[in-house]
Amino acid sequence: MAGIYGEVSWFCCGSSWGPCGSAGHGACGTCNSGSRQHAWPNTSDACHSITNPEACGESLSRRTCGFKHYTTNRCTGQKVGTTIADCGPQTDLFCGERTCCGSVCGSNRLIDLTPAAFSAISSLSYGLRPAYIDIV
Amino acid sequence: MLAWIGSVQPLLLGAVLLWSAQAKLFSRYAAAHARRTALAPLLGEDRAVLAYRTLAGVEAVLGAALVLPGLVRLEAVAATALSTGFLGYLAYAKIKDPKASCGCLSAQPIPINGRSFGRAGLMLAGSVLALVSGAAWPGAFAAHPVAGVALLLAEFAAIVVFSPEFDEHWLMPLRRLYARLSHPLASPGAFDVPLESTVDQLHKSSAWRDLARSVTSDVREHWDEADWRVLVYSARYAGATASAVFAVPRLRYDPQAVRAAIVDENGGTLAAVESHAQPEYAV
Amino acid sequence: MALNMDRRSLLTSAVLGSATLVGATALGSLAPEAAFAKSDDVEPGAPDPNFAEGRVTGINEGMLLVAGSDGTLWRIRVTNASSIWKLHPTSLDKVAVGDGLYARGVRLGDGTLAADAIWVNIVNLQVHIAALAPKKIHFDHRGKRIIGHVVPGVTAASYNSTPAIADMTMVQVGRHAQVIGAWLPDTNEIEIATLYTSTIEHNH
Repeated sequence: MAGIYGEVSWFCCGSSWGPCGSAGHGACGTCNSGSRQHAWPNTSDACHSITNPEACGESLSRRTCGFKHYTTNRCTGQKVGTTIADCGPQTDLFCGERTCCGSVCGSNRLIDLTPAAFSAISSLSYGLRPAYIDIV
Repeated sequence: MLAWIGSVQPLLLGAVLLWSAQAKLFSRYAAAHARRTALAPLLGEDRAVLAYRTLAGVEAVLGAALVLPGLVRLEAVAATALSTGFLGYLAYAKIKDPKASCGCLSAQPIPINGRSFGRAGLMLAGSVLALVSGAAWPGAFAAHPVAGVALLLAEFAAIVVFSPEFDEHWLMPLRRLYARLSHPLASPGAFDVPLESTVDQLHKSSAWRDLARSVTSDVREHWDEADWRVLVYSARYAGATASAVFAVPRLRYDPQAVRAAIVDENGGTLAAVESHAQPEYAV
Repeated sequence: MALNMDRRSLLTSAVLGSATLVGATALGSLAPEAAFAKSDDVEPGAPDPNFAEGRVTGINEGMLLVAGSDGTLWRIRVTNASSIWKLHPTSLDKVAVGDGLYARGVRLGDGTLAADAIWVNIVNLQVHIAALAPKKIHFDHRGKRIIGHVVPGVTAASYNSTPAIADMTMVQVGRHAQVIGAWLPDTNEIEIATLYTSTIEHNH
């Protein structure tokens, strides 16, 4: 498959502090903020019916726990490899949202990285980055 | 008094059960939602969906029977049993899986809280009153038309207040009205440009993109210098630790005016960058 | 303080003085084309050795002692080159015992993490805006109430993907939002750094 363009954000999971404390280990039961992992909107029928990326015109392949994706921060070109550990983000809540740096823009939330993964390609204090997501 | 109050309860119970059944049966998210209710950990995911649908069927049949006159006592017994069972389910679910959704009046995920118990308690009270009365509702309405309608309206209002599912139809508009009238977030007086908007502008500049991969930290410090805001990051340049210093227009939006310099630990300028119109990335 | 001012004026003149400017193309190795290097060698899915998470249990001469939520004990070295975020860029003396943090840096031989960047109490939440109150926004986060404080001069909002501004008056009850903020330890309250929201209704 060719890669896809979208927005990347971050989320916390596993044992944690603050509002994250109740997050749990995610749909796969393996998710931890300190590991290179991510959430994907189509890990199962139940997951897909919640995230509903089609509402934003995004058709995403079914991929299950442990599948590897590589996410590039299109503002800087930095890339990180992660495995699926949870269902998310809830794409349909933010249809049409755009994030840009310079002339590079990304639309629609397609992937959420753990803090360990996101901080490898961006600062955590930026909530959103335009991203390119691929399997290599 | 108690007799006629009890005899109009089947209308309330029936209407609520019918509403509840249709929400469970016809929402396109129903199956997914069933897996997230407290039924899932109690019964297992697949059986939760089946139980959810079965419950909806029972609610629909009993709801229709309650609204239609006849067999009042039998229906009231069934409604009391269902209400008691539901209250018990809420209590058990709250203890067993406090974060689960109740799966009550709609397919929206809403956690079990005091309002869920308030509504279930109201349903149980209505069922018991109907059981005690045993009379059919048409007679009660004939005898007390105004009081009967007023009582039912008040009870429906209480159900709505106890139901987060209906919040967007009354509570949210009230809160919006409050916000429109009181402007709680208005900020009087001068308000400086937030750092976030400066960082936003920086990220749109070619100077940032040229240097971003050398930057190792988040913003370390920042200050304003006339028309500029200066942002300092740590950077790794030619194998050594340095500072990446960016000057961003403070009060105007002009990413092409952003400038940058790499300054080493002794204060020597290693490189300086001006922004330029930028080509698209290959990726 | 005088030293700090001297340093700032030196850095200011380095970036705003015109004499030293060279074209960006002179920075060959930093050009965009060179930017698409391979990702680092941490195995996807594996714990990241250069990343730490947990709550501060002690602060001692530039060293943060942190108890990871998974039980790991971290020693995080903070230097002049480390950035510290706690609602906004700040310094080590503003970090307190009990704060939560994420840190990225370089793992040294003795197990210490030499910090490049530390984010203290940072949260990134997907929420519904439940209600507004004076200088506060009530959020609904997974069915729980979180109170977000609007901090004058810091809090910014980005509406419909436009650049962040300080004006919060377009925030609307009932909308979805994403909020970057700083948690106030052991409460259900946060201070809002950036709120990403919309003034347009999305159908879903």
